[in-house]
Amino acid sequence: MSEHRDFPDNRRVVITGLGMATPLGTGREEFSRRLFQGESAVDAVQAFDTGAAASHLGAEVRDFQPRDFISIKNLRRMDRLSMLATASARLALSDAGIAVTAENRDRVGILFGTAFGATDVTVQFEDALLAQGPGAANPILVPNTVMNAPAGYASIELGFRGVNVTVTHFAVSAETAVAYAASEIRRGTADVMLAGGADILSKFYYEALSKFRGLSPDDGGPEGAHPFDERRNGYVAGEGCGLLCLESLACARERGAKICCEITGAGLGSSPAPPTAWPRDPEGFCRAFLRALKQARIDVADVSAVMAAANGSRVLDAVEAAAYEGLFASRAVRPWVTSIKGALGESFSGGGIRACALALSVERGCLPLTVGLERPAAPLNFVAGKKVKTHLKHTVLSGISFGGACACLVFSRCE
Amino acid sequence: MKKRIVITGMGTKNAIGGNVSEFARSLREGVCGISQIDLFDTTDFRTHKGGQVKDFDPRRSIPEEFSLKRISRADALSMAAALEALTDAGLYPLQENIKENMGIAIGGGAGGLLEAESFYADLLRKGKERSKYSQLSSLFCASSADRIASSLEFSGPRATFMTACSAGATALGYARDLILNGHAGIMLAGGVEPMCRLTYAAFNALKSVDEDVCRPFDRNRSGLSLGEASAVLVLEPLETAQNRGAKIYGELMGYGVTCDSFHMTSPDEKASGAARSMRAALADGGLTVEDIDYINAHGTATPVNDLTETKAIKEVFGSRAYQIPVSSTKSMHAHTLGASGALEGIVSLLALSKRFVPPTIHWRERDPECDLDYVTQGARRAELRAVLSNSFAFGGNNTTVIFGRYEGQGAIHE
Repeated sequence: MSEHRDFPDNRRVVITGLGMATPLGTGREEFSRRLFQGESAVDAVQAFDTGAAASHLGAEVRDFQPRDFISIKNLRRMDRLSMLATASARLALSDAGIAVTAENRDRVGILFGTAFGATDVTVQFEDALLAQGPGAANPILVPNTVMNAPAGYASIELGFRGVNVTVTHFAVSAETAVAYAASEIRRGTADVMLAGGADILSKFYYEALSKFRGLSPDDGGPEGAHPFDERRNGYVAGEGCGLLCLESLACARERGAKICCEITGAGLGSSPAPPTAWPRDPEGFCRAFLRALKQARIDVADVSAVMAAANGSRVLDAVEAAAYEGLFASRAVRPWVTSIKGALGESFSGGGIRACALALSVERGCLPLTVGLERPAAPLNFVAGKKVKTHLKHTVLSGISFGGACACLVFSRCE
Repeated sequence: MKKRIVITGMGTKNAIGGNVSEFARSLREGVCGISQIDLFDTTDFRTHKGGQVKDFDPRRSIPEEFSLKRISRADALSMAAALEALTDAGLYPLQENIKENMGIAIGGGAGGLLEAESFYADLLRKGKERSKYSQLSSLFCASSADRIASSLEFSGPRATFMTACSAGATALGYARDLILNGHAGIMLAGGVEPMCRLTYAAFNALKSVDEDVCRPFDRNRSGLSLGEASAVLVLEPLETAQNRGAKIYGELMGYGVTCDSFHMTSPDEKASGAARSMRAALADGGLTVEDIDYINAHGTATPVNDLTETKAIKEVFGSRAYQIPVSSTKSMHAHTLGASGALEGIVSLLALSKRFVPPTIHWRERDPECDLDYVTQGARRAELRAVLSNSFAFGGNNTTVIFGRYEGQGAIHE
């Protein structure tokens, strides 16, 4: 079997650091402990009143102390999304053991994904503008209404001046960002790339998701997060940030960095879908999945596990399960399938957190269980009930968005 | 050797062009598209002008087979430009084998915010129960790429870039890479920015809007003019274009993306980010400053941008900075924010293929610190080998794209 070892080391992309601020804690230690313990962060929303919505659960980032990560000078101007992103960027660099210096700062960059940006700030700005007129518009808020603010603040706080791009494509924002960041490393335009994404919960946004009938319970039944479960009736909204630190294998080796895993492939594709609906046709996703395997030069039979996109939505989970049934049909042993959205909710650019979770899984040889999955709605090899310890050679991070965009990444053990 | 990526189709809606050929004519003639806007009431604002796409009727540009249900202005503008570009490229109606490997990369802006503001104003007046949340279905800027790709049934990659005023340029660069990396066969790439109250209020609150018309590089320049536009280009490998006998506007030679890491709304006064972005694009294209014959400047006409950009050009180009024309077409079509990098990509390709340098209009008085050749006396005929186009943005995001003249089979001769 032909593998990525055929590529020169400067064309191989490895993950050397993880940074996250999530509903299951901030930083690698706390996050991985709570994730692999099978803890759920789903709880009644505390940050705002959900009285106007039909749902009340969420997975919130609590006990996050921005002061631990961000200077007062920059903190004063930042919104919550930017704080989560900047803290995660600092954590990822420090986890990788990289200090940004005058010598390397032009070769360190970020590819940041966010589905909705700072909805809290936009609403605050519009509130003043529409209720009191243009004179009440607050100039301090202006940069924070733009989705590129988190990456901008992170660069200012941490001093890196290389490639700096924000991608927004709904539920595949972060997966897409990671795919592009890997290509920047391969192209040689950067030595170190932070990549992933973040989204936040805000009152207006939560109410809108509820009105669009995305949130559990969409059927008036009991509210909860149940990916791939027969009882599923919508997703629970989440928030948080996850960023990977990427560099070439050559770079990582040269500085003696510990290597978490390798990104061996990325596949992008799409299926037609109405604007706010999940695609009903698994074809676009299968295409993205197979393209990712092709880039990784592996076959479906080589996949040990899949970190699924399923969030408890009736349509999404069914389409994704159907895709796997088709993709894995000819295999004797089926790959493990797990979704962490039962524990962390659907945060749209949660692909950043999921990428961190998958990288940890490959590193440890352990898969987190699908919290909330008791009655599987499909005959797949789910990680349910308890975590699974197993050697993970090649794994896939699956991304599927409402609107139809799909993005898959292959994370492999770095041999 | 790196595959060559060429542009075979273009489409736009902007303040001085309802399509590409009208846009080309306006650029040559130095037409001003900045005037009183009427998309929303500007009575309470400090300024009232902008580069609005006037008389835009989606149905006139988008055939009946495509639903306009709940379509936002941004989505309609971009859909119109996408259809024009595909038709121009000779690809429309799309064949099945093309759809399969066709992707889209769009530089986003305010998305469906104009419509969302109407919703939100209703919500403030009438309360939550009586507001139509469906007006929010196209709120976010990724909706444009989704709407185009789903309507035209692309199966390739989709991405939306949101690096504020450099988004359109960034989308062009990444679209090229998606083809080079084998993720897509043909890409639609561009940008879209609709006018809306938030953007208008935001730039007014920052006091960066000229009450009259923007005057790039003028001594008394006092701010930008806000605009709106859609601009979509068809990118494909040279080989594919030649095989299907397509006409070719030019080549995407290289691009560079950097960050100031300085301030969210002001450029680095030392111009480091802008200079590094131009150098990165030159390096990516394997070019030197001697190869560049025209610079399509970011040139917003804010006091600080034009000064910083001039400094950066001098730093990168040395003595050649004084030998080549530098113009800001924002003086005509206004600053179209998320669309501007793509719109000015179209400007660059028109300049290359139609052999002219578009002017900077509204310029009156020389600024001792802005002392380059800003093409202030009307368009010029010129044979250009390569054009460098700058886009700088809030957040310190800089993107430079370089386009080259194409001479072989399929070249446009005018």
